[in-house]
Amino acid sequence: MSQPAIDNLAAASPGTPAAPAGEPPFGMTEMRLTARQWLITAAIVAVILLLTPRFWKKVERFDTGPDYRIPYALSKDYWLYQRRLEQIDDPARVIVIGDSVVWGEYVEPTGTLSHFLNREVGRADAFANCGVNGLFPLALEGLVENYAGSLRHRKIILHCNVLWMTSPKADLRIEKEESFNHSRLVPQFTPRIPCYRADASERLSAIIERHVDFYAWTGHLQNTYFDQRSIPAWTLKDDGGSPPQRPNAWRNPLGQITLVVPGEASDDPLRGPRSPRHRPWNEGGAEPARFDWVPLDDSLQWRAFQRAVGDLRGRGNEVMVVVGPFNEHMIAPQQRPTYRNMRQGIADWLAREKIAHVLPETLPASLYADASHPLTDGYELLAKGIARDARFRKWMNGNSAAGPR
Amino acid sequence: MLFHTWPFLLFMGVVLPVYFALRRTKLWIPWLMAASYFFYGWWNPWYLILVVYSTALDYLLVTLMDHCPRGGAGDSSEAGAATPTDASPGRILAYGRVKPTLMDRLLRLRFEDSVLKAAYLVSGALALAVIVIAFIGPETLRPAMIALAVLVSLMALGSVLGSRRVWLLISIFNNLAILLFFKYARFVVENLNGVLDWMGASVQLADPSTLMPYGFEYVLPVGISFFTFQSMSYTIDFYLGKVGRERNFLRFATFVCFFPQLMAGPIERAKHLLPQFQSPPPFRLRNLTDGLSLFLVGLFKKLALANYLSLYVERIYENPRAYGAPALILATFAFAWQIFFDFSGYTDMARGVAKMMGFNLILNFNNPYLATGLGEFWSRWHISLSTWFRDYVYIPLGGNRRGTLATYRNLFITFLISGIWHGANWTFAIWGILHAVGVMLTRELERSAAYRERVPRVVKQAGVFAYVCFAWIFFRAASLSDAMLIVRRIFSAGWENPQIPAMMLALVGLIWIYEFLFESRLRGLLAYGAVRVSLAVFMVLYLCVCASGGGAFIYFQF
Repeated sequence: MSQPAIDNLAAASPGTPAAPAGEPPFGMTEMRLTARQWLITAAIVAVILLLTPRFWKKVERFDTGPDYRIPYALSKDYWLYQRRLEQIDDPARVIVIGDSVVWGEYVEPTGTLSHFLNREVGRADAFANCGVNGLFPLALEGLVENYAGSLRHRKIILHCNVLWMTSPKADLRIEKEESFNHSRLVPQFTPRIPCYRADASERLSAIIERHVDFYAWTGHLQNTYFDQRSIPAWTLKDDGGSPPQRPNAWRNPLGQITLVVPGEASDDPLRGPRSPRHRPWNEGGAEPARFDWVPLDDSLQWRAFQRAVGDLRGRGNEVMVVVGPFNEHMIAPQQRPTYRNMRQGIADWLAREKIAHVLPETLPASLYADASHPLTDGYELLAKGIARDARFRKWMNGNSAAGPR
Repeated sequence: MLFHTWPFLLFMGVVLPVYFALRRTKLWIPWLMAASYFFYGWWNPWYLILVVYSTALDYLLVTLMDHCPRGGAGDSSEAGAATPTDASPGRILAYGRVKPTLMDRLLRLRFEDSVLKAAYLVSGALALAVIVIAFIGPETLRPAMIALAVLVSLMALGSVLGSRRVWLLISIFNNLAILLFFKYARFVVENLNGVLDWMGASVQLADPSTLMPYGFEYVLPVGISFFTFQSMSYTIDFYLGKVGRERNFLRFATFVCFFPQLMAGPIERAKHLLPQFQSPPPFRLRNLTDGLSLFLVGLFKKLALANYLSLYVERIYENPRAYGAPALILATFAFAWQIFFDFSGYTDMARGVAKMMGFNLILNFNNPYLATGLGEFWSRWHISLSTWFRDYVYIPLGGNRRGTLATYRNLFITFLISGIWHGANWTFAIWGILHAVGVMLTRELERSAAYRERVPRVVKQAGVFAYVCFAWIFFRAASLSDAMLIVRRIFSAGWENPQIPAMMLALVGLIWIYEFLFESRLRGLLAYGAVRVSLAVFMVLYLCVCASGGGAFIYFQF
């Protein structure tokens, strides 16, 4: 390089820190902490990491009611989910866990399974909707294992949706890379999910997030106040225009933190009887379809479901499984026996494991919105069916033949 | 493997304790080497072949060089020393006092040194075998075998000539060939095809990917420019007599592939790093804490600053046509800081990791945006590369010893090569030329007493920063036409709201203030324990709350 450059290199620049003989200069900052300073730093950081999530639970308002469900936008806020479960401290309340069928994809909070079960038993808060939109058994397993630790010696209704066994793709067993919801909940290394191709760093960070409460809390902050983004990404959020407008560029990020968990919109245009989505599946002329069913013995999702049930029962919970009801009308007639065999296989396993279960009858075709989600009236009918079932009543009364292990 | 990812944390969780446990045994160097190869192979294990090959060949070439007399045939580095009595006994060719001609050497094939004789026989046999494979073996291997045949034939020739210079040239040829093939071949082919097309020729050169055996993907091996330069500097320094020969292959291999600096430097010199591998450095708590300090600062620079700035820069540079002048100016300003944080962050982490193990890597950045001249900028920016070019390009070209014009010619050539080193694109060449021009300009300005004494320091700093930012446009733009478009729009497009986040400006502003304080009389304030601890706590918490992972380092592509 130029002679001045050489001269400057030979004689250290003004800012070059002094270094012991034979050692290159330390760096271009004064950030050279001693062991004592590192210990103090570590202690302060540890206290903050440990106490912040606990403190946050005390200062942040989280209003729930009898038909509360985690808002759709917060589906991936597992810290909030954990908090929600902890909040249901009445041991008499039955926790209803499952995917969007339990959550109520097409219906309002007052049109869900738990709402109608409450009505059946004549109490407003006997059943708590703890479904998570977009969940599936492989993610359910992670949710139960890592965020449902507060569920001990409780009554739990677990929904089993055979939708996840309708094809190798739904079972996540295809080799081609797929992106799917709740990937941070699925097993990261074993059992192997063929279509899940995250790199090692992402997998490890998912595992760390599950075990370090602070990281899960960080996820809560992002989900609740920053549109599911990191704070820096939030400041750059744009409207997709060209050139894009960035409304948050000069907003104070701290001003976003209102310390109130937002509830579900009272008038969600995507859900409820007035929504254009709230229509029977066959209204547009849809025909029964063929499914590429995955045998139970080969199904990754079914095995994950089995492990999730085992995990819940291992904590002393009384689990009752509701299988389906899948929209049998949507299955091509020649394939229906396959589906029934599968359903029977599930029932057989549950019986063998002495797990209380209900196999509700298929609802009328007009009460389904798609392959597995009932419409509001469908949920009502389903709840009535479950409530009438002797096994359910027996389980509710605590006389289940299949008590906890 | 990237420093800022969890796998690296796990990797260090294994490597560091085992390294400390092995320090009193002979296994510490093999362990470091194995760890380094694992670190590199994590990205693509196949490209380890390239690192091992380059290392082994340079080791061999230096060994052979060591068996040639200084001042042997064609070795002009020590002109006039070509008499047998000047060289060490047993390593010289017995040609008497009359210097044999090249033809004499080729025809007589007399070897006094058994190693050179063995090298001749082995490389000769290997050349034959490789040529046979090239013609009767699988067709996919043919290009690689022909290249190998050329190399081993040159080695056979070198054995006959017994010249240190030939071995040096083979080393340089080999390292540059690897670099040229993987980094520049496609660029050269595309440009030549463009010329052929323009001339109306019907022939087109094949894409270099067609030369890869067994359909291996033609990708630029990460860090190739760094490890080839490091290895090459060793052979050049040995040739010049600046370093001794490293006889232990494992130690040499560890020097070439030492994982903290393998991917993106700093480009270490054998004189500085090799001696540190002679004996295990003593364990010192201070090394550990210093290493952690450097690592934290580097991590913060990468995750909190560089990644954040990149979000703004990328969107604007991807579609410069859609933005007005303020956004383009601020994106360029942001890129200046992004690349600084990204690269110096990597270097800090590299130095930190090495320091934890007791090794000292050189300082690679020294607050470059506080430079008052372009020359000074280059003594603060990527120091290991600029000194490499100074020692192996600028000085051999004549440096500043032959008058102003020759000095400027040498500067121009050096900066042009430096620009092209950064990437196979005309934008990098322009960037290099701009820096050459900048260095010349500031050099001329600094000759004037009025500029030296009357222009305030801060004005000079601002001027240099503005010029460096202007040059970054060419470095960052996807193409030359994009770069020209950005320059045009900066001066002609409307002044609309650039919508740069206030938080981004605040962070960069705070860093700038820190740098000014660091180089001022108030530096002592930054050294207070409370300030250090507060900043460390802030950095850790910011990383935990705000930073999201991901994003490879910009300099990996070089």
